[in-house]
Amino acid sequence: MKKLLAMLLALCMVLSVAGALAEAPAEHVLVYGASTEINGDFAPGAWWTNNATDKMLRDFTNDYSVIASDQGGALVVNNTVASSVEGVMNEDGTKTYTVKLNDGLVFNNGEAITIKDFLWSTAFSCSSVASEVGAKMTGYLTIVGGQDYYDGKAETITGLRMLDDNTYQISIVADKVPYYFDISYASTSAYSMKYWLGENVDIADDGNGVYFKGLSKDAIEKQLEYARFNAGEDRVSAGPYNLVEFDQASKQATLVINENYQGNFEGQKPSIPKIVITKAEDATWFDALKTGAFNFYDTITDGEHINNAMDLIEDEANKDVLGYGFNYVQFDRPGYGKLMFQSDFGPTQFPAVRHAIAHLLDRNEFANRFCAGWGGVVNGPYGTAMWMTKESEEWLDENLDNYAYNPEKAIELLVEDGWVLDENGNEYVEGVRYKEVTEEQAGQYVHTKKLDDGRILMGCEIEWSSSEGNSVSELLGIMLANGEQTAAAGIKINQNIMSFAELLNYMYRDATQGDKYGVPTYCMYNLASNFTSIYDMSYSYTLDPDMVAEGYNTDYIFDEELDKLSMDMVYGVEAGDDAAYLDIWQKFIKRWNELLPEVPLYSNIYISVYPDWLENYNQDSYWDFEQAILYATIAE
Amino acid sequence: MGKYILKRCGYIVVVFMILSLLMYSLYNLIPTDPARQELEPQRKALKADEYQMLYQQLRKEMGLDDPLIVRYLRWIGLWKDTDGTFNGVFEGNFGYSNLYKRNVVDVIKTPMGNTIFINIFSTIASLGITIPLGIYCAVHKGKRFDSVTQVVTMLGYSIPVYIIALIFMYLLCVLWRVFPIMGTKTPGAVYANGWQEFVDMLYHIALPVIVMTFGSLGGMTRYVRSAMIDALSMDYIRTARAKGLREKVVIYSHAWRNALLPVITSILGWFLGIFGGSVIIENTFSLNGMGKLYWQGLNNMDFELVLAIQMFYSIVSLIGSLLIDISYGLVDPRVRVDK
Repeated sequence: MKKLLAMLLALCMVLSVAGALAEAPAEHVLVYGASTEINGDFAPGAWWTNNATDKMLRDFTNDYSVIASDQGGALVVNNTVASSVEGVMNEDGTKTYTVKLNDGLVFNNGEAITIKDFLWSTAFSCSSVASEVGAKMTGYLTIVGGQDYYDGKAETITGLRMLDDNTYQISIVADKVPYYFDISYASTSAYSMKYWLGENVDIADDGNGVYFKGLSKDAIEKQLEYARFNAGEDRVSAGPYNLVEFDQASKQATLVINENYQGNFEGQKPSIPKIVITKAEDATWFDALKTGAFNFYDTITDGEHINNAMDLIEDEANKDVLGYGFNYVQFDRPGYGKLMFQSDFGPTQFPAVRHAIAHLLDRNEFANRFCAGWGGVVNGPYGTAMWMTKESEEWLDENLDNYAYNPEKAIELLVEDGWVLDENGNEYVEGVRYKEVTEEQAGQYVHTKKLDDGRILMGCEIEWSSSEGNSVSELLGIMLANGEQTAAAGIKINQNIMSFAELLNYMYRDATQGDKYGVPTYCMYNLASNFTSIYDMSYSYTLDPDMVAEGYNTDYIFDEELDKLSMDMVYGVEAGDDAAYLDIWQKFIKRWNELLPEVPLYSNIYISVYPDWLENYNQDSYWDFEQAILYATIAE
Repeated sequence: MGKYILKRCGYIVVVFMILSLLMYSLYNLIPTDPARQELEPQRKALKADEYQMLYQQLRKEMGLDDPLIVRYLRWIGLWKDTDGTFNGVFEGNFGYSNLYKRNVVDVIKTPMGNTIFINIFSTIASLGITIPLGIYCAVHKGKRFDSVTQVVTMLGYSIPVYIIALIFMYLLCVLWRVFPIMGTKTPGAVYANGWQEFVDMLYHIALPVIVMTFGSLGGMTRYVRSAMIDALSMDYIRTARAKGLREKVVIYSHAWRNALLPVITSILGWFLGIFGGSVIIENTFSLNGMGKLYWQGLNNMDFELVLAIQMFYSIVSLIGSLLIDISYGLVDPRVRVDK
């Protein structure tokens, strides 16, 4: 037995010594702990998959887009790639963008980038072959002639022209313009056609538009599959970094600087020589960061976790052990957690009830508790990092109702709205408030009753759908649903915990998943929204019943003004007319705040932790790691 | 024997078919729309018409509008797929992962390799410790070492493996920094040769293997001990000792061989478990193995992936039980398996 124990100890020693034998990583390698595992699909855009870390790797390796996003999220022409982008409205309502590309751009392997490398992916999005290989591309709906080419009715894509070796034109169908962000339609990106489609496929333009030569599923499938999942020296790309390795077994990706990269839209080139992306586990990320398993942790969202990270940043003893310390950058979340109402049935169809619920929740305290001090409250569908918000700070303060915590006001609103009866139709004294409603207002909602005298009463009893294992739901339960102030106001909120998939079925009223989902059942949900730099709320409040059935307007709020403003904001404003856009945005926010289809609960402050040998790292809400790291340098 | 094996193989096919139908039906009972689920992350980026176009296209591609039995037969390979070909499990297509957008077989390869690699070490280490330990404790029943081992193994048996993992991790990674905390490779390491890479991997998997081994000590040690105590109390042991046989011969040739019959079920189960990953260990140590893949498949409702994994384990279990039955006959001549 002693021999056995001795052998075990020896084994442990051998394994720990073995670690020392492995080559240690070179100094100043940035090891990025990603909260999402790399799937390994490196196809451009989200043609197949939409994994966040895969996207980051794609962005690192493909950055030659004609239109880029700047530090504030605004769309700008990438002058490294194009010398000019000009748009002209045509008489038939279509819009044509003419783009002049710069000379001298090369891929990471030194091969010259041609106009074909910029255009083939746009043309591919108009080809039915893209669908055949399973790519989710819809360019044919946007580009003039795209639908006919997709359907096989036309030989060429008339709205996509290759005018000379450096110039192309792209025409947008009439029903998509004017669009405030329509410059994004002019954008193409440089992807090696040879690498992605193989040597036997080509594009041409004989004067009537771009078309493919030799394109078929069989011709490209094998090469496309290889190109998607390949990481290595033979991967042809055009971004600040080359993806030189993706180790499937460890799910680690390694990026090194692309020496042929000519800079981002501001001409900025990277200086961090090597970046390794690895998976960080939720349960162990802190210890992993502390022990140096990775030295960069992006976007910590939970307040408690942020406080832990701050302790680590101040931990001098750990700094001595690791040989480096940590710094952090903080930025606002471009979105918020929310209580979402469905406003076409039950008590929440009445604005007074929605307003009363807002007054019954101390949102500042909620945000403070949930975010552990790292968060705040907004009063509408916006994030504090948006340029519109920054431009409108004073206006927002003056014009929006902040629905401050005020149980008395909640009761007052309910009384004014007619919630003055008890369940027998007598004057309300205590318990749940009731209101006399019409048959149409009552609908099939479960908490309605018909009295003998013919009156129909609806109880102020809210059925709330919340997803399982959700800490927001737990806090909402304590501070709102089970709060004394809620009961005192005569409102009852019933929490129904379910899987997120089931929650979505109810929210979308998806009867294809079961008849019960088609029946409006829950009038309150707790969810979250994030806004991209393209703030486009069109169709989100549509009145069109077909679109509502397809899952648009999940708030089920049917207000003509709100719908019109949400559409006009993007489709009624010319690209570049920021003043007009801002004006409609403010009107939209105000109307939304009045109707209150959702109660914003909290808007977090995020932090990212990075090693202290990194300087000039300035991440922001719309300026992600892959963009900000280009400006970072290694401290002397 | 051959006839028996053939008959059991027939049963395996029937059980597999019933099981596959049940599993497929169960997953399809879950109220979710895979097409909508797939497009949900892109909803904000798509225009209404684009979303609708893609949604309908996906439903068609996935065959979601067909009856359940048609979808099952299509999946198993007895019904033509949406592209007009037979392309199911019987044709070697174990499905398509919606999460990874690749064939399930391609998705499974690497995690399976990792899991087998880790489990081989863990299983060998566990058996290498527990069998001698169990025998030693049985032979020295009631002595101090046996009592201490009973307490320790009881602790190991009672404490959940994730607690063991976190304690070991804290002690060996955070406090003493002996082992790396996660992964199977030093990030950014440059290896001079394959051996260095292999050693680095061994170094990374050492702690998960230690945790898995520690977590499994209790059960098998106690099992072996109990089987050996039974065997050692038999008359033939007394006879063997009376014959003047050496104690080692008594223990290993007489007692251990007879104790092996109940133990062999567990041992074979362990070896079959080499294919199965540990959800907890792999997630805790960020190892890309089958347990983690299975967990991800469930969380992302990637049912074809999950189904393929489960059907694989079903086959492994069915074949495993056949092997156990056959092995009884080999270990104990009194057991006949040809009926």
